[in-house]
Amino acid sequence: MTPAELIERGIRAYTRGEVGEAERLWRDVLAMDPDNTRARSFLELLGGWLVAAKAMPVPLPAPSGSFQPAPVAVGPTSVPLPSPDSSWLSSPTTISLGAHPDAALRDISAPPQPAGASSHEGPSGDVATPSSAGTRAKGGQGSQASSMSAEDRPSAPGLGDYAPSPWDLGPARTPAIVLSEGPGLDLVSVAEQSGVRTLVPDTGGSPEAAAKPCSEIEIWMQGARELFALGDFSGSLAMIEKILKVEPMHGEAREYLQQNEATLIAMYESKLGSIGLIPRLALKPEEILWLNLDHRAGFLLAQIDGVVSYEDLFALSGLPRLDTARILASLLEEGVVTS
Amino acid sequence: MSDLDQDPAIGIDLGTTNTVVAAVVDGVPRVIANRQGQLLTPSVVAVAKNGKRLVGQMAKRQAITNAENTIFAAKRLIGRRWGSREVEDARRVLPYELMAGPEGNDVRVKMGAKTWAVSEISALVIAELKADAEAFLGREVSRAVLTVPAYFNDGQRQATRDAGRIAGLDVLRIINEPTSAALAYGFGKDVEKQVVVFDLGGGTFDISILDIGKSVYDVVGVGGDTYLGGEDFDRRVMDWVTFSFAKEHAGIDLRQDKMALQRLRDAAEKAKCDLSGVPAVSIHLPFLIGGGDGRPALHLEKQLTREKLEELTGDLVERCIQVTTRTLRDAGVRPSQIGEVILVGGMTRMPRVQQAVRDFFGRDPSRAVHPEEVVALGAAIQAHALAHPKASMEVLLLDVTPQNLGILVVGGYFQTIIPRNTSVPTSATHIFTTSQDDQTSVRIAVMQGESEKAVENELLGEFVLDGIRPARRGEVEIEVNFDISADGIVSVSAKDMVTGQRQSITVTATSGLTEDELRRIMEENLDELLERKQAGSDFEKHRGSVLKVIEDIEALVPSVTSALARSRFGKDAVAKAEATVQRARLAIDARDGAQLLALEEQLERALQLFRGLVAGGPKEKGP
Repeated sequence: MTPAELIERGIRAYTRGEVGEAERLWRDVLAMDPDNTRARSFLELLGGWLVAAKAMPVPLPAPSGSFQPAPVAVGPTSVPLPSPDSSWLSSPTTISLGAHPDAALRDISAPPQPAGASSHEGPSGDVATPSSAGTRAKGGQGSQASSMSAEDRPSAPGLGDYAPSPWDLGPARTPAIVLSEGPGLDLVSVAEQSGVRTLVPDTGGSPEAAAKPCSEIEIWMQGARELFALGDFSGSLAMIEKILKVEPMHGEAREYLQQNEATLIAMYESKLGSIGLIPRLALKPEEILWLNLDHRAGFLLAQIDGVVSYEDLFALSGLPRLDTARILASLLEEGVVTS
Repeated sequence: MSDLDQDPAIGIDLGTTNTVVAAVVDGVPRVIANRQGQLLTPSVVAVAKNGKRLVGQMAKRQAITNAENTIFAAKRLIGRRWGSREVEDARRVLPYELMAGPEGNDVRVKMGAKTWAVSEISALVIAELKADAEAFLGREVSRAVLTVPAYFNDGQRQATRDAGRIAGLDVLRIINEPTSAALAYGFGKDVEKQVVVFDLGGGTFDISILDIGKSVYDVVGVGGDTYLGGEDFDRRVMDWVTFSFAKEHAGIDLRQDKMALQRLRDAAEKAKCDLSGVPAVSIHLPFLIGGGDGRPALHLEKQLTREKLEELTGDLVERCIQVTTRTLRDAGVRPSQIGEVILVGGMTRMPRVQQAVRDFFGRDPSRAVHPEEVVALGAAIQAHALAHPKASMEVLLLDVTPQNLGILVVGGYFQTIIPRNTSVPTSATHIFTTSQDDQTSVRIAVMQGESEKAVENELLGEFVLDGIRPARRGEVEIEVNFDISADGIVSVSAKDMVTGQRQSITVTATSGLTEDELRRIMEENLDELLERKQAGSDFEKHRGSVLKVIEDIEALVPSVTSALARSRFGKDAVAKAEATVQRARLAIDARDGAQLLALEEQLERALQLFRGLVAGGPKEKGP
């Protein structure tokens, strides 16, 4: 299978909610083509773990076919921790991992680790403590070594090998915040310069939108762009619809929605031929019963009487034009109707 | 000279649920099928979800799935006043939005992005039938007679007339439906008897008693129920099927799914109609509704017998008979005095209805006329008579006043001056007096209606007569005169008998549309009509040239085939050309102008190729 095909399969797997499978496929791509930027970008979006992999040999696909956690990962379901320099960390909001609803919780349960510390813990080392759970949330940094493979880890690190702990990053090491002159505290200025964000989103969006991490939408958007580029307009449309459910006013998603719909309608209508043509049933009524149709196709089929044209059916169906075109093209392709 | 050589005039039966058009062709009245080949065109108009305007059957077929933009039963609203009881009743049952007109007194409906006058909606249906008639007769039609129920008041008649005008027709006359039916029944016969027109249509039931004598048709009594018709019968079947289905499928309610409901309604209506001819039918609707939880779609398979249908609708038939009894009693006519019963409306084809009529009148109803066509045929006869008076035998139609006409009197009461069922033209005079001492003026409020209370009747117009001689109350006599012309125009005058002071008013019925509004709508329609005509003539032009090219290609096929037999090349040229010809023929059938235009070029190229092959012959001989 070519890298492009693997990427596409990965996107499809992701669309189905099979995040592990998507990761495996994209990692397979990197195994075949380490410089594949698309696979890399997807994996980065999935959690930023791959950034660490830049500095190490390309990991081999896991034998089980699912993503293998880095040895320092904690908890019953291991999830790779992000590297400190990944964009994942710089994100002001917590990142969840695709279909894992509790991924964010797992992230913050990971303890602050010094560089290379994971080698002491071993693959099953559960070192997380309740008190450490909030550390990364506070400091906004994680373990650099969390996603390293066992082979790369130094066997006996000294103190100098450890990355500075966030606990050590006291206020003195934080850049000073310059307040603008004038009365009172300029909260906007503080927020801009410190990276501190308010706890409650102040965007005025829906609770769902606020709860949904923006990176997940970005993953969907990226998937939609990729699928569109691959010519899978249905897949792209499905992703766009997911985005618009969460963020109805997402500008790019709306543009893609229009593009996808227009393209799909044109594709399906081209299969029908002229929309002025009159479709006819190609099967006997008793044969129709053996088909596997849904009630919408049943409705459209019931309207075909040898008098109405495809154009009429678009008007009669009461369905969106895309759905009508899709059903009719499918009926035509399956030989249920002829024109 | 044949009728087609003359300027044709058509008759239109504008019904609540269906509309029919007819014309006299070569001396014989006949119903004109619409362009889909059906004699009945549903009186339904819609703007589909894709923005396309639909009229007739197409609009009806999406009436449930697109209920808010589908206008049906406009006849219940035409010419009605906003706030009237009838409009309030309609608002309760109609799924589309009604609103008051700009003057606040007539009804408008919302369809698509636009607000329409009811006359405009009816005009869309009439225009469709006009186009059907023009396609059938092969020439433009500009004159028509329209029919209305006998109980329609002047405002409703005027609104119907306006609908005809908006559709581009010169409305020669508005005639009563029962009169029209009787006219078709009596056509070419020497009939002198009292007849009953029993009209059970899709939405309403009307019963009329007419005296026919020496080509004079006199309506002597009318009655009915404006909310009783074929749709009530359909609903009974739908309910029965819905409950049976819910019982079989764990309570799945078909009424909750618009697509399922639409199919069910169509199937129920068809089953009901079929049961007039056969004892049992099968209602078969595959993939009707989703099974829920990802299960496959469910099918509906149900047997309905005539017996069951009669059981489900027995009370509706009984209501018809009760209304008939009351109407005959009001008119002072016994069933045994009726010389003929003319059945009108599709529902009268139901054997149970025919049996009920037979039982009530003690005689078989007439089989001389088709119930669904008879009103339109009568209108066509009248239209032909009015359009070609010399060519037609004289038919004198005596229409009657549908409701009492009178004035408001002291105490808020209504004083009838011309009672309903009075043949028009007519006139009547009544003497009134003043109600107060030294009263110098009186207000004459002209009204129409059936109630003793003036407020419940319709105000047609009013004027003040002043300059009355001061005197004690009751001493001054004022003569009020009503005069109704054959066209239904009511003139009312009041005169002080002593001073001779006189004042009068002519009541011109109004549909609610102002003359300016009407003119604007007609101009808009004219633009649209011209565009359609242009599109139609473009298509016809291309059709003609494409057919000519096809003819030339087909003529060359044998020579080309023979020429190609000697060549290694172009073996598929004939097959390709034939495929293009086939596609062009399909485009012509579908009246797809764009496709035809695209194919015209391909056909031209094929023709050039064929000509070249035939003229030059194959240059290369195959091995």
